[in-house]
This record gives sequence, C-alpha cells and structure tokens, in this order.
Amino acid sequence: MDPDSNLETLMARYQQGDFGAAAELIRHVSPQLHRFFLAQALSRADAEDLLQETWLRIHKVRHTYRPGESALAWFYAIARHVRVDHYRKSVRTAAGERQLEAMSKEGASVPGETDHGDGLIALLAPLSESQREVIAMLKVAGMSLEEVARATSSSVGSVKQKVHRAYKKLRETMSAAGFRKGQSGGLS
Amino acid sequence: MKDVEIDDVLTKSARVPYELNPAMLQRVADAIQPSFRPVRPLPPTWVMVVGLLLICATVSVAGAARAGFFGFAKMNLQDRLLVFPELALLACVAAGEFVHAMVPGSLRRISPGALLGFGSAALLAVFAFLFRDYQTDHFFSAGVVCLLTGVLHAIPAALLGWFLIRRGFAVNAVSAGLAAGVLGGLAGVGVLELHCPNFQAAHVLLWHTSVVPLSGAAGALVGWTLRFCAGSSARDCADSR
Repeated sequence: MDPDSNLETLMARYQQGDFGAAAELIRHVSPQLHRFFLAQALSRADAEDLLQETWLRIHKVRHTYRPGESALAWFYAIARHVRVDHYRKSVRTAAGERQLEAMSKEGASVPGETDHGDGLIALLAPLSESQREVIAMLKVAGMSLEEVARATSSSVGSVKQKVHRAYKKLRETMSAAGFRKGQSGGLS
Repeated sequence: MKDVEIDDVLTKSARVPYELNPAMLQRVADAIQPSFRPVRPLPPTWVMVVGLLLICATVSVAGAARAGFFGFAKMNLQDRLLVFPELALLACVAAGEFVHAMVPGSLRRISPGALLGFGSAALLAVFAFLFRDYQTDHFFSAGVVCLLTGVLHAIPAALLGWFLIRRGFAVNAVSAGLAAGVLGGLAGVGVLELHCPNFQAAHVLLWHTSVVPLSGAAGALVGWTLRFCAGSSARDCADSR
C-alpha cells in the first residue's frame, strides 16, 4: 500500500470516525510536518509543540476537508496557520517583555540552536522564511506546485517565483561553499 | 551549479529517513481520542456560493423594497443590463473567494486585495460609462445618506454570509473578513442601484462605489481583531497554566 496515494482515503475514513485511520495519518504525516516546522528555523521542542497543536487543530476542523481534494495541501494549510499563529504570539510576548532584541539574535543563530544534524535544514538555512516553506513542501512532502499554492493560499505563479528565487539563492550559496555534485549534506 | 543538480541535492537530503519518537505520536493520538466521532464534511463549493448569492440578492431586494425601487424604475434597459449582471458577476467571484478563504487548502484564483481593487475598478468603469450627468447637487448630504444606506445593508449581508459558512475554518482571518466585507459591500451597492434615483456621475462614482472598499476594510478589520483576540486569549491561557 502506498500511503501517499491513500491519504485522501484515510482522511475520508477519519471523518467517518475510524480511529485507526487517524492513527495511521498521524504516523505517516507527522515526520514530514515536524521536518517542515524544523525547516522554519524552529527548535526541536518548538517543532514538537507545534506538531501536537497542528494535530489538535486538524482534529477540530477535520470536517473542512472535502473528500477527493488534496489531503496534503489541507494538512499543510493548517500546519502553516499554526506556525504563523505561533510566530505572532511569540512576537507579541517578546514585545511585552521587551525582549525583541534578544529574540532577533536568537533567530539569527539558525545554524547553531536549530541545527539538528539534518542536511536539508542546513541547506535551506540561507533562504527566506517563505522560500524555505515552499521548498520544504515541494521536497519533503513531495507536493506539486498546485498543492503548494493551495497550502499557502497563493497562486501557482507566485509559488514558481519563490522557487526560482530560492534556487538562485541556493546556487549562489552552494557555489560559494564549493558544494560538490552528488553531495547531500549541509553547507557547513 | 545547474537547477537539476540543486534539485538532486535537495531531493537526496529530503529522502533521508526521518523518525519521530513513537511516544510523542501516541500522545497526539491519545489527545484526540476522547473527542472522536464521525463528522459531516462541508458541502461543495457551489452549494455555499449559491447560498451566499441568495443572501446577497435577498438583502438587496428587501432593502430596496423597504425604501422603494426608484433607481430601478428610472434606469433604461441598457443601464439595467449592464449594472445588475456586473454586480451579480462580481458577487459570484467574491462569494467564491469567501468560500475558498473558509476552506483550508483551497486554490485561490485572486487575492482578496486584488478582488477589492478589481471589483471597485469594474464598478467605476461601468458607472463612468453609463452616468453622464456631471452636476453635483447636494453632493455631501445626499452622498453620506447613500454611503450609510449601503454600508448598513452590507453588514447584515456579510454577517448572514458568515453564519451560512460558519463551519468553515479561516486560515487567514483578515483575508476571509475582507472577502466577506466585499461581498456584503456588493449587496449594499445592489440596494443603492435599485433604490437611489440620483444618477449624477460624481454621486454614483464616489458614494455608491465607496461602499465596497469601506465594507471590505471593515471586514478585514473585524478579521484582524478576531485573530488578535484569539491570539491574546491563547496567550492568557498559556500564562495562567
């Protein structure tokens, strides 16, 4: 059984109240969602918190998935919403505690605190947040351009433009780091 | 490096097996189990769009029926054939975008900002083409009355629309609010076109068309406020733990 082709079926069974289908979805989709959060320069602990929050949100709004449509795009749209919410809350909290300066330093230390020994995450570190998001969806989740557009509430053209810019940036970074063909590790 | 080579590097990095702690996944499953029950999926997009259009039409006709169909009576056939189909077409687009904003993972064909800009520009173009009386009698006094009438009808149209698709989930509350506001604004313009017999170009172009951006902005503000309040209450909950 290829789980990717059956996410839609599992999702339909989840809506019908099949707990086994929900458990299978959690087992199959969680690793890529976790990696998606890590790719956004979050710490492992934050990524785990967001993953749990994403599943709670998914469970709460599972009726908004419509059978026959891309389940991955639906999952990632909600995961993205949870991440953006988390970002807003952390900015507000930091503003309240007057720790914005410290936070920006923390945010800048992407290769340090958030280096999890994952080659892909190190590769994506030089990209902007929106570019990392799009590349993570395309490469980690294996989504199509249209699915990424659905998940990010944008047009296919806008996604293509972000991918183009991300590849341009990656080309510059990899060339500067003397990246060899066939190497799949990080830049460091 | 070529794009193909970058692609290759990214794909190889992404394919590295990635496992999560099974205990954490079990915790997630345990957390959702107590509230596990079958749910009914949202109806198809077209059903919700038709529902929203019926609400807009009802609000427009009911509002004009209360105040009188003086504008409709004064219009000639060309005016009627251009103004009302255009409003219906824009309402279809706005309703579709509102539904898409309330269903995660929907493909957006037009951004809410573009919808607002395009809708307002289309109304201005048709009004400028049809209404050629360039006098400005009672410009402010008559204009403010029309603006208020339009907005006061936009509010119930947007609220009823939100009530119809309240089971949806807005991943971006500001976009959803903006789309709802534009849809309500179009219902408000519908009331004005049916009721208002003032065909002076400046009056129609400024005061009638303004209902759409004003309602859209109000909807976006409501969406932003709801998102801010939801964020604040979540933070208060987290702080009190």
